[in-house]
Amino acid sequence: MTAIRGSLTVLALVTMAAAFTACGESSGSDQASQGKQGGSITIAQTSQPDALDPAIAYTSNSWEPLWLVYTAPLTYRRAEGTEGAELIPGAAEALPTISKDGKTYSFKIRKGLKYSDGTPVKASDFEHSVKRVLNLESGGTYLFEGIDGATAYIESGDPDGDIEGIATDDKTGEVTVELTAPDGSFSNVLATNFAGLVPSNTPFSNQTKNPPPGVGPYKISKVVPNREFVMEKVDGFDIPDIPKGNIDTITTKIVQSPSRQAQDVIAGKLDYMQEPPPTDLAAEIKARYSDRYKEWPTLSVSYFFLNHDLPPFDDKEVREAVNVAIDSSAIARLFGGRLKGACSLVPEGIPGRAELDPCPYGDPDGPGDTAKAKQMVEEARATGEKVTVYTNNDSNRQEIGEYYTGLLNDIGLDAELRVVDGAVYSDTIGNQKTKAQTGIVNWYADFPHPATFIQQVDGSTIAETSNPNPSNVRDAEITDGVAELLPEPDLDTVADRWAALDQRVIEESHIAPFGSEELTTFLSDRMDFENCAIVHPLYGNDYSSFCLK
Amino acid sequence: MGQSPWRLALRRLRRDRVSLAFGALFVVLVLGALAAPLWASAVADRDPDRTNETGQIEVDGSKVDVVSLDGVPIGPQWRGEYFLGADSNGRDVMVRLLYGARNSLLIGLAAAFLTTLLATLVGLVAGYFGRWVDALARSTLDVIWAFPVILLGVALGTALAVGGLKIGPLELGAGSMTISVLVIAIVYVPYMARPIRGEVLALREREFVEAARAQGAGPLRMMAGELLPNLTSTIVVFAPLMVANAILLEAALSFLGVGVVPPDPSWGNMIDAGVERLVTAPHLAIAPGLMLVLTVLALNVFGDGVRDAFDPRSSAAWGTRRP
Repeated sequence: MTAIRGSLTVLALVTMAAAFTACGESSGSDQASQGKQGGSITIAQTSQPDALDPAIAYTSNSWEPLWLVYTAPLTYRRAEGTEGAELIPGAAEALPTISKDGKTYSFKIRKGLKYSDGTPVKASDFEHSVKRVLNLESGGTYLFEGIDGATAYIESGDPDGDIEGIATDDKTGEVTVELTAPDGSFSNVLATNFAGLVPSNTPFSNQTKNPPPGVGPYKISKVVPNREFVMEKVDGFDIPDIPKGNIDTITTKIVQSPSRQAQDVIAGKLDYMQEPPPTDLAAEIKARYSDRYKEWPTLSVSYFFLNHDLPPFDDKEVREAVNVAIDSSAIARLFGGRLKGACSLVPEGIPGRAELDPCPYGDPDGPGDTAKAKQMVEEARATGEKVTVYTNNDSNRQEIGEYYTGLLNDIGLDAELRVVDGAVYSDTIGNQKTKAQTGIVNWYADFPHPATFIQQVDGSTIAETSNPNPSNVRDAEITDGVAELLPEPDLDTVADRWAALDQRVIEESHIAPFGSEELTTFLSDRMDFENCAIVHPLYGNDYSSFCLK
Repeated sequence: MGQSPWRLALRRLRRDRVSLAFGALFVVLVLGALAAPLWASAVADRDPDRTNETGQIEVDGSKVDVVSLDGVPIGPQWRGEYFLGADSNGRDVMVRLLYGARNSLLIGLAAAFLTTLLATLVGLVAGYFGRWVDALARSTLDVIWAFPVILLGVALGTALAVGGLKIGPLELGAGSMTISVLVIAIVYVPYMARPIRGEVLALREREFVEAARAQGAGPLRMMAGELLPNLTSTIVVFAPLMVANAILLEAALSFLGVGVVPPDPSWGNMIDAGVERLVTAPHLAIAPGLMLVLTVLALNVFGDGVRDAFDPRSSAAWGTRRP
């Protein structure tokens, strides 16, 4: 499901502009080229990536490494802060030409481009790569459904069939994509990992055990499922503005315990851990290893969804009461301090965010007003209404659920907690039959565009299953606004109007946001933390920037 | 005139000081659990489920965060409020420990009672009627027996965790503790029903049973009036061990997230939460872990004593303590 797709999958590794503007002054490629060349490092992830196949991969575990293996036609500048959100040509020669009606995107594949196994890249590989996404029940399918003929292609059930809206010419390298309706965010779609090119003979099946060659500074040379995978630097890779990488071999080990990972990074047995250190060790790490540890804000939002179809949240006053009562400073403690309060659905760092100052519900980082909220619930005659709070068993989510359940009880509702396994959480709350009244959503940006957030409260996206809008918000102003603004290719010109939609989300209490999570970089002592640790706004820690001292 | 087996057993048990001491320990634990509301209201002044992440308490004259800004909860204060410190949500660990004891013991005792009831019924019916009834009961027990206890408990617990249970008029919500009771009771039935069935098979060939049959006693009277009284000592020997096993399984299920649903405390889910904080807040895992060890140890030692009291040969046979 799309809404929860963010919570479960997508990039957990997204930075925000403001905090690193200073760092962003020198580009990633510049920094990377200054790093010491060569050497091997060992890094750790907590669980096996969902896939090592660009058509399917949709978690931070997979996007972070695969970004360096499968370059899409477009990509983002390897830099921190706002600079990193800039679209640049990847496998394409230049940014696409967009027709006046906003429905046709044309670009040319670079001449002489080769995959890591030496196979020349062809324009038709793009269509094949998109077909694989559409065939493999990928979470990224929704991104390409706007292509003319994509739905018909899926319905035909023939993998070798044609997608009418994609025309390619292998001789000239030209690719033309026709959309059924204008979509101003489609350039960003062309920069996602899902659009990462693979050869046309790549089978229509999950290739995690034997990842196909790609175009990028690294290739995956070895995969031992649930144990490790190895990335090796590709000789001869050369695309302007994409760093060639410094480290020769990057071995990713699957180490389930974050505590063990943190201790191994301290001891130098691991060079980097992808997850934040556990709260248990975070304070010590912050204090003793500040020369190789940093926290960075993400392009994400965490909120409680409030189902408008079910009491008591069908009453705006009750929804407002929840917003009034929330104490982000309490929740921040459950994140080990790695949470910044929010009063918007669109996070800081993405154009089109509402700047609500003051926030109508009080200081987003300050305490809530439970007495006032309780009174509001009383006035709404909702005191004693039964509420089931949904959360999952990932990381600190259960503790947040316990906090939230207690809060709802404090304001006069009769709340109980239901903890669902993280693997099925999004499906559970996204199924209308569950009748989920409220619960936690963590949403990370697929790309730096407000649509990826506002669509979670767009009535047109409501579905019986995999519902991307678990609050079931039906607000004509938002639905019409999204329909009107989405086709606009120049985001800057309509950022204010997106912000107005964001403001309406808050003023109408459609959801109850409580903050944006911060993630971390923690490197071993032998890594050059000062010069070689770039955090990209969308893809997190950029391995191609890593280098040894 | 000779003494009844019960009197003899009680005499032997009275002489077993170690078993009695551990039995007394269990009673103390139960009393502690019963006193949880008293401790919560009169001593700690904290509700077991009320979170307090941003609260402060006075320590040595200065205000201290119950949970620090980077999420580390305060440790044991050894006084009424936060006697054993706070958890990540700022709740009083001592209060939750006592309330957790209520839940753990309640589930353990209820599950053991239900197991005993079901196992006795199945063992009696299967052993008495024999033939296809016995074959059916034995096969069913074998199927349950074939699954490791934890695995079966987790499978059943997970299946019922979201939707609850609805069989005819019986309807249990997903968070109901009765579900845990049912799950634990069911998975342990074979462990008790099989020996009872074996006992019944032996008893039904005895003279007093033949005599009752010759007098025209029906199946119900035979089972209730003749066989059941002779099974009592077996059941009594099993009971404390069943309670100990049920408490352990409840803790395991709650640890794995399919037992008592938070924010309701149980020792299992408290240990689960504490494992993540072993470095900065070891009290979170140690306190409930210690309670669990003490409870199970108390029940096991007392259970051994009861077994030895009813069957002195067993201690000689196993080379265990002498009464």
